[in-house]
Amino acid sequence: MDNKGWSLKAGSLLPLLLLVSELLLGQSVDSLPICPTGAVNCQVSLRDLFDRAVILSHYIHNLSSEMFNEFDKRYAQGRGFITKAINSCHTSSLSTPEDKEQAQQIHHEDLLNLILRVLRSWNDPLYHLVTEVRGMQEAPDSILSRAIEIEEQNRRLLEGMEKIVGQVHPGVKENEVYSVWSGLPSLQMADEDTRLFAFYNLLHCLRRDSHKIDNYLKLLKCRIVYDSNC
Amino acid sequence: MIEATPATLGRPSQSLQRVNPGPGTNSSGKPKFTKCRSPELETFSCHWTDGVHHGLKNPGSVQLFYIRRSTQEWTQEWKECPDYVSAGENSCYFNSSYTSIWIPYCIKLTSNGGTVDQKCFSVEEIVQPDPPVGLNWTLLNISLTGIHADIQVRWEPPPNADVQKGWIVLEYELQYKEVNESQWKMMDPVLSRSVPVYSLRLDKEYEVRVRSRQRNSEKYGEFSEVLYVALPQMSPFACEEDFQFPWFLIIIFGIFGLTMILFLFIFSKQQRIKMLILPPVPVPKIKGIDPDLLKEGKLEEVNTILAIHDNYKPEFYNDDSWVEFIELDIDDPDEKTEGSDTDRLLSNDHEKSLNILGAKDDDSGRTSCYEPDILETDFNASDVCDGTSEVPQPQRLKGEVDLLCLDQKNQNNLPSTDTAPTTQQPSVILAKENKPRPLLISGTESTHQAAHPQLSNPSSLANIDFYAQVSDITPAGSVVLSPGQKNKAGISPCDRPPEVVSLCQANFIMDSAYFCEADAKKCITVAPHVEVESRVEPSFNQEDMYITTESLTTTTGRSGTAERAPSSGMPVPDYTSIHIVQSPRGLVLNATALPLPDKEFLSSCGYVSTDQLNKIMP
Repeated sequence: MDNKGWSLKAGSLLPLLLLVSELLLGQSVDSLPICPTGAVNCQVSLRDLFDRAVILSHYIHNLSSEMFNEFDKRYAQGRGFITKAINSCHTSSLSTPEDKEQAQQIHHEDLLNLILRVLRSWNDPLYHLVTEVRGMQEAPDSILSRAIEIEEQNRRLLEGMEKIVGQVHPGVKENEVYSVWSGLPSLQMADEDTRLFAFYNLLHCLRRDSHKIDNYLKLLKCRIVYDSNC
Repeated sequence: MIEATPATLGRPSQSLQRVNPGPGTNSSGKPKFTKCRSPELETFSCHWTDGVHHGLKNPGSVQLFYIRRSTQEWTQEWKECPDYVSAGENSCYFNSSYTSIWIPYCIKLTSNGGTVDQKCFSVEEIVQPDPPVGLNWTLLNISLTGIHADIQVRWEPPPNADVQKGWIVLEYELQYKEVNESQWKMMDPVLSRSVPVYSLRLDKEYEVRVRSRQRNSEKYGEFSEVLYVALPQMSPFACEEDFQFPWFLIIIFGIFGLTMILFLFIFSKQQRIKMLILPPVPVPKIKGIDPDLLKEGKLEEVNTILAIHDNYKPEFYNDDSWVEFIELDIDDPDEKTEGSDTDRLLSNDHEKSLNILGAKDDDSGRTSCYEPDILETDFNASDVCDGTSEVPQPQRLKGEVDLLCLDQKNQNNLPSTDTAPTTQQPSVILAKENKPRPLLISGTESTHQAAHPQLSNPSSLANIDFYAQVSDITPAGSVVLSPGQKNKAGISPCDRPPEVVSLCQANFIMDSAYFCEADAKKCITVAPHVEVESRVEPSFNQEDMYITTESLTTTTGRSGTAERAPSSGMPVPDYTSIHIVQSPRGLVLNATALPLPDKEFLSSCGYVSTDQLNKIMP
C-alpha cells in the first residue's frame, strides 16, 4: 500500500482509469466495472466501504486469534486438543478458494458472495458461543468479552459486505446461502472434556475462517479499489 | 500408519500432541521436525534435524510423508515429500501446487520405516516472511545545533511476498544501533515501507536492519541485511554546543547567595524590621529623656535634659512674663546658699543644666500644650493652656518643695508627690521620685488644700512643709527659697511668721505676685523685684529651678538665713506652691504670704482662688 497521498490521487483518477481500462482492455476479471454508469460517486464510497470492511475483518481475526490462544492456554494444555488435522469446520463445505491462484481466478462477485456466505454461516455459532461461554465454569472474562465483540463485529461486517455487494452488483440479490452449524449439542454436552473440545474446535475454526475472510477482502480491495496495485 | 484419521470427533491420539518440537540437538538420536514455514502463504517447507550423533549417517533413510484434508474427509494416504532438495538439507519443500491454505496438513517423519515424528498444522499458521530487501537511507535534515540528524530508511518487501495484490499483508519492524553498541533499539511495527529515524548523532555510525511478519501473526521473519548509516561529519561550529555554559549552576548559586545575604540582613536588622512592621505604640515621654535616667535618680542629668527640653519652655514661658522670671539675685552672695534651692535659684550658674525651663534664652519654643512630649502628667491642661502654663512648673516646684518640707517636717503624709508648692516659678524637679512630674502636677489642688491648713497655721507650719517658703526676695526680683532649713535648724522652714509675709504682701500684691508665707524681709526685698519678675527674663536662672531634695535637705537653714536674721522664727518652706497663675500675672503662693483679712484665706496657703485674689489685689 502506498502512502495516503497516492491513494487520494488514485481515488480521484480511478473512475477515469477504470472506464478507460474497460474500454481498452476489454472485459476481464480485473477490470469489471465497479459502479454502474452514471453513479459517479460510488467509487469513493466503495473504497471507503472496503477500507472499513478490511478494518473490521482484520479486527475480527485479531480477536479470534487472541481468543483461541487464550483458550488454548487455559483449557487445552495437556489435554491433547490439538486435532486440527482431524476436525473440520462447518464452513468447509463452502467451496472457497484455497490458494492464491484460485482466488485470483474467481470473479469478485462470486468471491463477495462467498464471503457473505461464510459470514452468514457464523451468525448462529457466534451467538451460541457467547451464550455457552457464559455458562462455562470460571468463564474467563477475556474470552467472553472477545466473543461478544466478535459477534457484534461480524454482524457489522455482514452489513457492510451486503452494501458492497449492492454496489458491485446492484439489483442482484442472491438467495441467502450459508452452511448450517450443528455443533450446538457438542457445546452443551455434560462431559466436560467433550465440551471443551467442542469449544476448542469452534474457536479454531473461527480463527481460520476469519483469516480467510480477511485475506479475501484484502485481495478484493487491492483488486477493486487499487486495481491490483496496493 | 495413520493413527489419527477418524472422521468423527473423538479423543485425539497421543501421538499428535507435539506441535513444534524444540530446536536443538536431538538427544534421543531421532530425527525431529524443527520448523515448518511458509514465507509468502503460497509455499511452505519443513525442516528436521538429523538425529544421528555417531556421525554415521544413514542417507535416505529419513522420509517425510504428508497428508492433507482437501475435503471433509481424509481421503488420501500419506504422500511423500515432493522436494527434498529445494529447501536444503533435511528439508521438504512444498511448492504452490502442493500448498493449500486453510487446509489442515499432517506430516510425519520416518526413519527406516518407523515414524519418528509427526506434526499437523495449517499453512496460514506457519507464515514467516522473508526479510525485506533493498534497504537504503536518506538524510532528512540536520538539527540546528549540527549534532543530530534525521534519516529516512526505505526498503522493499520480500520479493516473493505478493503484497501488490494484497494476498499477504506485511508489517515491518526496524532496529538500529550504533556501530559499537551491542543492544539494538527497536521501533514500533509499521505497515509502510519506509520509516524515519530521528535524532542520530552526526559523529557516529549506525546499523539498521528490518524484519517483517504477516499482519495478524506473531512470528517475525528473519532480519534483513544490516544497513550501515554513515552520517556526514559535524560542522566545526557544532562543537561549541557541547560546552554548555553552566547557567543553571550559576543561577542556583546566585539565588542561594542572595538568599543567604537576605537572611543575614533580616537577622541583623530584626529589631528594625520589627519596628517597621509593628511600630511600637508611642508612650508618652519627653524627647531626649531616657526613662532609665529618671529611674536611676540622677537628678542633675535629668534636670539638664529637661532644661534643654524645648518643649518645656512654653510651659513656663507664657504671656505671664513674670512667671518666667522670678529672678534670683545672683549678685548677692549672701543669698546664695550652696546646694539650697535658694542657691540654685539665685545662682547665675546658668550653665547648670538643671533648667527645667530649658536653658535656651529664647522666647521661642512655645510648644503646644498638647505635645505628647511634654510632661505626660495631666496638668490641668486648661489651666496650662489658658495662659497659665506656669502652673506646671510651680506644680513641679510644689511637689518638690513639699517633699522637701515633708522631709524636714517629715510628718506630712500629704501625698507630697501630688502637692506642688505655690512657689514662684522655678520649678523644681525632684529626681527622687520616679515621676517627679506627675508628682508635681497631679492633684495639686487637693493636696494643696490639705496642706493649707497646716501651712496657714504658723505653728503647723513647723510640722508641715508642703511648700517652699519664699524666704527672701532679692532686689533683683528673685525669690529666695528656703529649702527646709528649718528642720535642720529646728525650725520648720515652712513655718513662717505670717507677719513677715504680710509685710511684703502688699508689695507683692501690688506686683501681682503670688506668694505664700514670705517673710517680711523677703517681701520687702523682693517687692521691687517682683516687678522685675513681670518682665520676662529668660535669664532667670531657670537652670536653677531645680531644687533637688538632697540639696534642699542638706541646705536647711542655709538658704535665706543670711538674709533673715530673724529667720529662726521664720519658717521658710523650701517650696512655695504655686497654685494658680492667673492674670494679672500673679502667683498665688501660700496664703500666709498674702495680706488676707481673714484667716480663711490664709488657711489655704498657697492656693488662692481667683476671687480671693481679686480681693487681695487692687
